[in-house]
Amino acid sequence: MSEYAIQIENLVKKFGDLTAVNNVSLNIKSGEIFGLLGPNGAGKSTTINMILGLLTPTSGRVLVDGVNMQQHPEKARQEIGIVTQETVVEPELTAAQNLMIFGKLYHIPASELKKSVDFALDLADLNSFKDAYAGTFSGGMKRRLETAKALMHTPKVLLLDEPTTGLDIQNRTKIWGLLRKINKEQNVTILMTTQYLEEADQLANRIGIIDHGRLIALGTPAELRQKIGMSTLIEASADKDDLPKVAQAFKKAGLEPQVPSNKVVAPNTGKAVDKLEKLMRLLSESKVVVHNISMHEPTIDDVFLKLTGSEVRDQTGEDTSRTRVLMGRR
Amino acid sequence: MSLLGDTYTLFTREMLIFKKNIRVSVVRSLIFPIVFILLLGSFGSSPKNVPVALVNYDGSIASLNFINALQLGNNINVASYTTQQQAMSLLAQGSVAAVIVIPPGFNSDPGSTPTVYVYLDNSQPQSASVVSSVVSKVASEGINNGPTSPVSDPSPGSISVVSDYAYGAGSNYESFVVGGIIIMVAAFGSMFGSGFTVLSDRELGNLKAFLTAPINKYSVLLSKIAYGTVQSAFSAYTALVIGLLIGATIAAGLVGFLELLWVIFLVGLGFGSLSVALASRTKQLQTYALVAQTVTMPMSFLAGAFVPVTLLPGFLQPLATFNPLTYAVNATRDIMIKGSLPLSILISTTIILIAFTCVMVAIAALFFKNTSEQL
Ligand SMILES: Nc1ncnc2c1ncn2[C@@H]1O[C@H](COP(=O)(O)OP(=O)(O)OP(=O)(O)O)[C@@H](O)[C@H]1O
Ligand SMILES: [Mg+2]
Repeated sequence: MSEYAIQIENLVKKFGDLTAVNNVSLNIKSGEIFGLLGPNGAGKSTTINMILGLLTPTSGRVLVDGVNMQQHPEKARQEIGIVTQETVVEPELTAAQNLMIFGKLYHIPASELKKSVDFALDLADLNSFKDAYAGTFSGGMKRRLETAKALMHTPKVLLLDEPTTGLDIQNRTKIWGLLRKINKEQNVTILMTTQYLEEADQLANRIGIIDHGRLIALGTPAELRQKIGMSTLIEASADKDDLPKVAQAFKKAGLEPQVPSNKVVAPNTGKAVDKLEKLMRLLSESKVVVHNISMHEPTIDDVFLKLTGSEVRDQTGEDTSRTRVLMGRR
Repeated sequence: MSLLGDTYTLFTREMLIFKKNIRVSVVRSLIFPIVFILLLGSFGSSPKNVPVALVNYDGSIASLNFINALQLGNNINVASYTTQQQAMSLLAQGSVAAVIVIPPGFNSDPGSTPTVYVYLDNSQPQSASVVSSVVSKVASEGINNGPTSPVSDPSPGSISVVSDYAYGAGSNYESFVVGGIIIMVAAFGSMFGSGFTVLSDRELGNLKAFLTAPINKYSVLLSKIAYGTVQSAFSAYTALVIGLLIGATIAAGLVGFLELLWVIFLVGLGFGSLSVALASRTKQLQTYALVAQTVTMPMSFLAGAFVPVTLLPGFLQPLATFNPLTYAVNATRDIMIKGSLPLSILISTTIILIAFTCVMVAIAALFFKNTSEQL
């Protein structure tokens, strides 16, 4: 196995005028869990689909375990397990049948097929639903089945596009456990995209932040926090109309506030308690209603905010800024 | 692994789903041909009381006996008119299926052959064929002058009937219709088997999963064609059996039956390929359903599935030559009605349908090449 499980070199994908992925270069080391974090429309799926060879890059190239995906797709894919953004299980087949067909498509020898199916059922914790039709499964069960299906042929690399979006906390925890387990026990390299900061923070060894098709930050969670040079943050939430007043108070207190959607955030500088005290006094003088005020360690959310000027969660896509302007005029 | 191996794996998947839904498939395969046979084949259940306008310019006892004989069995319902003009205008309106004219001097000259004129409305072939057969049957019994005991004193010779038919009066209309229906059902079966699953798999994300598996992507295409062919054969063979039950016959016997199975299989294969080609370029199920119907219906019609090609408007007839279904339909007519399919025609039909399949597979492959960009 080569040092890098996935090498992405100057990858560009244009859809007409839109550049969905803009010159992304990224090397993912063998055995690591890499989280690609970005809001809706950032270009996560487009990147994944190019790695999978579903989309042809406008320029740039992708190597999976040293094999060029564009040139030898069948060979490269043999080493990849895939969980796409849309859940793919065949509702008209049982859990075992779903697994069996994909086992065959990934060329697991007939003699080992049954063992592989059982292994996957174990992994997905679906042993007792072996012969139930997948159409009867809950969203979480389908997602688990799919994740296990992707691991049946013991791939070296597992690609997951938002594997836990929309799942409840139980299923999310199960999938996280499953991913940690195969990463640790089988040294499977994992590249996953996510919109969830906690997910990237908790699971990934390294995180890449992608926005508007560009990779804007790369590093371990700790490195990313360090990079933006923040020790603690002061955050206040209030009604939207009051936010400018709150921001004004922040400024008077000597802080540099940023105002994403529904709160005011500022990195604390100097003596924390002093600033906070001053801020509290100014806020109460200005008679603005503040719902909540807190001081905390920076999260990846804050990193993202610092880097892009907006929060991960309130972006809805490419046109967010324009939408906001329109909403502001209303 | 090989293209064929992967195709086989995907085909077994389709068959597992097919088996799970076998009941739905059976019902659909029954309903599909039954609806068509009811819609079109009701032509074949010899209609009763077919309205006929009759003009009797003769008035002799023989002519009256002839009219009475026509009405026996209630197959046709005769109404008399005094002028041919009146009767012909009713025919033009479509309110009667035929006009029978008994000319003056029908029975005056014993030396000459008495003649009746029959004008048939070819747009109602089912009724027209009833009229034809009733008239020719009565005509073959000859002149009857006796008012009381017609059987005791039959005159020798028969009445000559001047008429034109849509097709031979001897042909069994059920066989004619069923021959067309099985080909149409075969075509539709594939259209709804192959293409539909391509689209539903795209919608479910299965297509993406197949295309990211380490397999040749054309195995997806081939497995869909194979599945469509099975679905098509299933439906069309069912239609054939139903057709035989309602009275269609296969003049060419057991060999003919086997030949029909072969022709149906070839149509399924060709249309499965056409279907995948269309589905590779269509995103929405509704659009696909519309396109599939817009292609299959006219092709069936132009092939003479329901109306003989000779009755189609002149400008459409050349199109029939380029329609692969024409050859399939002609083969069923040869097998079911004429009584034998010459080997040379069996071979040429096979070659034409295989060639059609190859062209469609090539087009489908071309369309399918970039399908992953449009998932
Ligand atoms: N086939 C396509 N044709 C045109 N534009 C596309 C196509 N696929 C994606 N895009 C656009 O490219 C941009 C990136 O989309 P992509 O699906 O990669 O985002 P994402 O990060 O996966 O978002 P999400 O979190 O919503 O899944 C979006 O603006 C999207 O509208
Ligand atoms: Mg996405």
